[in-house]
Amino acid sequence: MRFLLPVAIALLVSGCGNQAGTHAVKEREPAPVAVGTLVPVRTSGEAGGREVLLVPASSVFRNGELAGVLVVGNDQRITRRWIRIGRIVKGDVVVLGGVDKGELVVGEYNPELGEGVTVIKSPKKTEEAESK
Amino acid sequence: MNEGIAGKLAKQFINSKITPLLMVASLLVGIMATFMTPREEEPQIVVPMVDLYIPYPGAAPAEVEARVAKPIERTLTEIPGVDYVYSTSMPDFALVTVRYKVGEDAERSMVKLWSTLMKNMDKMPPGVQFPLMKKVSIDDVPVLNLTFWSKTKSPYELRQSAVTVADELKKISNIGDVEIKGGLKRQVKIELNKAKLQQFNVSPMQIARQIQQGNSQMTSGDFKQMNEELVVRSGKFLESAEEVSNIVVGIYGSAPVYLRDVATIVDGPEEVNNYNFFGWAAAAPKGSVSGEYPAVTLTVAKRKGGDASVLADKVMSRVEGLRKTVIPSGITVTETRNYGATASEKVFTLLEHLLMAVVAVTIVVGFFLGWRGALVVLASVPITFALTLLIYYLLDYSLNRVTLFALIFVTGIVVDDSIIIAENIHRHFAMKRQPKLQAAITAINEVGNPTILATFTVIAAVLPMVFVSGLMGPYMSPMPIGASLAMIFSLLVALIATPWLSYRLLKTEEGHHEEYDITKTGYYKLFNNILSPFIESSFKRWLAFGVVGLMLVGAIALVPLKAVQMKMLPFDNKNEFQVVIDMPDGTSLEQTARVAKEVASYLKTVPEVESYQYYVGTNAPINFNGLVRHYYLRQKANMADIQVNLVHKGDRKAQSHDIAKRVRADVQKIALRYNGNAKIVEIPPGPPVLSTLVAEIYGPSQEQQIALAKQVKQVFEETPGVVDVDFLVEEDQKVYNLVVNKERAAFRGVSAEQIAQTLRMSLAGMDVGVLHTDKQLDPVAIQVRLPQSGRTSLQDLSGIFVQSQGMGTLTTRLRAGQMIPLSELVTVQEKIQDKSIYRKDLRRVVYVTADVAGATESPVYAMLDMDKKIAKLKLPGGYSISPLYTGSGVSDDKLSMKWDGEWQITFEVFRDLGTAFAVVLVIIYLLIIGWFQSFKTPLIMMIAIPLSLVGIIPGHWLHGAFFTATSMIGMIALAGIMVRNSVLLIDFIQIRRAEGADLKQAVIESAAVRTRPIILTSGAVVIGSVVMLFDPIFQGLAISLIWGGVLSTILTLVVVPLVYYMAEKKSTVTVKNKSK
Repeated sequence: MRFLLPVAIALLVSGCGNQAGTHAVKEREPAPVAVGTLVPVRTSGEAGGREVLLVPASSVFRNGELAGVLVVGNDQRITRRWIRIGRIVKGDVVVLGGVDKGELVVGEYNPELGEGVTVIKSPKKTEEAESK
Repeated sequence: MNEGIAGKLAKQFINSKITPLLMVASLLVGIMATFMTPREEEPQIVVPMVDLYIPYPGAAPAEVEARVAKPIERTLTEIPGVDYVYSTSMPDFALVTVRYKVGEDAERSMVKLWSTLMKNMDKMPPGVQFPLMKKVSIDDVPVLNLTFWSKTKSPYELRQSAVTVADELKKISNIGDVEIKGGLKRQVKIELNKAKLQQFNVSPMQIARQIQQGNSQMTSGDFKQMNEELVVRSGKFLESAEEVSNIVVGIYGSAPVYLRDVATIVDGPEEVNNYNFFGWAAAAPKGSVSGEYPAVTLTVAKRKGGDASVLADKVMSRVEGLRKTVIPSGITVTETRNYGATASEKVFTLLEHLLMAVVAVTIVVGFFLGWRGALVVLASVPITFALTLLIYYLLDYSLNRVTLFALIFVTGIVVDDSIIIAENIHRHFAMKRQPKLQAAITAINEVGNPTILATFTVIAAVLPMVFVSGLMGPYMSPMPIGASLAMIFSLLVALIATPWLSYRLLKTEEGHHEEYDITKTGYYKLFNNILSPFIESSFKRWLAFGVVGLMLVGAIALVPLKAVQMKMLPFDNKNEFQVVIDMPDGTSLEQTARVAKEVASYLKTVPEVESYQYYVGTNAPINFNGLVRHYYLRQKANMADIQVNLVHKGDRKAQSHDIAKRVRADVQKIALRYNGNAKIVEIPPGPPVLSTLVAEIYGPSQEQQIALAKQVKQVFEETPGVVDVDFLVEEDQKVYNLVVNKERAAFRGVSAEQIAQTLRMSLAGMDVGVLHTDKQLDPVAIQVRLPQSGRTSLQDLSGIFVQSQGMGTLTTRLRAGQMIPLSELVTVQEKIQDKSIYRKDLRRVVYVTADVAGATESPVYAMLDMDKKIAKLKLPGGYSISPLYTGSGVSDDKLSMKWDGEWQITFEVFRDLGTAFAVVLVIIYLLIIGWFQSFKTPLIMMIAIPLSLVGIIPGHWLHGAFFTATSMIGMIALAGIMVRNSVLLIDFIQIRRAEGADLKQAVIESAAVRTRPIILTSGAVVIGSVVMLFDPIFQGLAISLIWGGVLSTILTLVVVPLVYYMAEKKSTVTVKNKSK
């Protein structure tokens, strides 16, 4: 009879804190890709001295009513950023909200570029785009 | 020995055929009740709370406060039963929240409120619109959330299919509100073309009027002819965008102007007004896709009294059925909240714990009484619980955390009565002085009456907890009621079933064969060795008392030394938490979405997070906490909620609170990068409050209050352990005030209202009607607005025209219909938006809120810490403030501050429990006086009560746990148990002395004889509580019962006989002296 107690307590303890490890899914690190031009978000003067933000129309993608651009952050990774767009001015789209001036967006939207993909920045092309 | 009630009852039932039948019947009804009682996780708390939304268009906060909030508050405070009245005066409207005392009837409260409000509507200034009254109830909290997400479908399509599913789900019986969060509705957008409007001489107002008039249909009457009635109808509802575009909105020249000529008509999704995304995170099930996808959440609430798990199962099977037909293949439906499942799980875990406790206790009993004795005890527990569960069902309680906890808590106690009776029968059988039946009845008689007394002592200890007031009251009340009921049933079982079982199961053969002699037992030798030196030498006795006294002082000293901290309730281990992000007012929806996304992308890397969903521009489905905190109003563009779902608690090592603590710093760092404020919101274990730490600042003017609030906020931020600091003062937001030039407007024949309406229609848009299609489940609004690209700056307003109503003067002649540009009539003023005004109980208040985590987990210590710093603050008047803990200052002439939040509830609970404890002591004292007919003996018995502290406080210190409300409950219950032990001890001493034994002999004998039942019963309490040690909430209770139980049992067995000896020796000596 006496040997039952330690067994019971062991059972009690193990029954309470059933702790199995988490089955975390490791995300694969995608290989860096070249994405063509990276265009910084520009500002342009409007009538009345107000500035507006501009991105190339080709960089904007849509999902139903949602509009977005692919932004490359300081860590060279792509994030999908939702933006609110205004009118179109000569191949550029006025952005009303969602990006800051100077942020780099992927010039040509490519549906294959996913969230978190690392890009190889080619400064030359970027500058070209800037001087255009 | 004459027979007491116990003996009589036992005699009746010990050989009756009815006894086993009663036992079986009780078990059966208990099992039935368990399955019929609705299951929930949290107990149902009725907090009658009503929100009043009172629109006062155009008014500034100060005006709203003075004309609307103040007078309404004043009248509402007069309603009996109202506990608090809060109000927030914002630009254009007031939100008044009335909170009734807990337990007030919700419907009656609503009626009272309504009639009071109606009585005073005539005193409202003109322009105030009819108030919207919303009862906030626990049943508004969705029990089931289904997230519709898709890789390919847009938010518009997602919403469409969610709406269809919602419509199907509403057919399920007992289903409450079904709502849809996020997604985009179908809308007919009429995007005005400013240039065309001017060209065709049509104004926006005119368009709105034409659509409204064109969208009507009615029955005109009937013709009677040829013995028949013919119904005549006229008009036709608009049924499609095509019909809308063909409306004639004006005449230009000689041709009609169609709507399509001056505007673009788009039938499709409305403009983006929210972002709702779902994504799997690090701990997602295998094979889940990465990335985040547009989502729409369908929330299902239950009806009052319904069983969440039953409803959830029904809904899920329904959704399963719809998956093939209504839900397109591209859409995945994921269950992101299921309170039904969590409730069932919690209930079954607790039942499992209950079972373990019972088994553990049985094993302990088995050690002392052999397996037969253990079987007797084991059989009595299920009967007790079965009957208690039946009463729960009859009293409309649900099976929840608290009601089941009451059962676990009493497991160790309910076996006691049976143990005492079985043990004594066992002892008498072993003594072999009487035939079996006679021995059993004698045994019951011997301990029966003290057992009844002891049971009532324990009930007296727990029952006063019913009187805990405030929000915590309903949380706790099932506990004392359940525990008391269980105690009464256990007593009945002990007196009816236990003798029957013992008589049949316990054998007389085992044990001693020679004549029973107490002095030969091991217990007697032990106690003779321990007690004799103390009895013989008064110095040693006092030394022993001194040591015990020191231990007590040492234990209590741990509290002021902060080795043991007080907290009301620790955090439970939940499977979710929320991140609430507030960006500065005026932040665009997209910017908020961006911050939310960035925070979410961090959260998804946390190893315990299974999935997340963020909501921007619409609130996340609320929980009980969000309900009280008004999170359902979080629908502005600068607010985001992230719902974080963790993996099941069985699959992770870290507690949810530790995860929340771990991610807090990083989350806040990300938010701060964008000037945002992020808070980690966990589900509080007890009743929810505005925030854990709340400083209410009162004062003569809003400027001074805000100035002080800023200083207090600074103090908060500097104090270690204080996190999530925020205050309810909006940041400066720029507003353009378009001031109408009255003279110019008058000369142009334009009214100020026309200008306001036109502007509103152009910017915010105006719903001018709905499309009358029967296919659409969601109403399709027809909205007139400028296109997004046409309303980005003040310059865009220049092209908007209003129509003159005509004006003829000597100098000008303006015909009606002339288009006047708005820019000619208004001048722009840039200013800062007025701040909202908060009031609580008729006084203006500014709240500073925070949470505690890390350095200190208990708000009380943080508050004491900050008190000193706040007292040092420099105030304009040159005086210093000392934060108040209770009540609130009377005058607003000087700045003052009061602590609120969790503190308020903590204070109420500990105050009420303290009072309850005092009452308990008095009742116990009275009960024992009644039994022993002595004023002194009860005091000796109650010495055991403070002795429990020697175990309780160091026990908390050893476990590194908080002294919580549940610890306090444990302490109170322990008082009852310890007194019962003393009762059993002293009762036996008195019996022996009445039989003529010497005082010293009687004391030692009593200790020896009673040790076994005392250790058994205390052991049962201790072992029964071990299960609870692993539950974060009930840990405090377990520690109290275990450590308090062990130490005070040991001390009681020594100290109580000694004190009794001392007290009685004196009286015997005096009696002897007198007789000399």
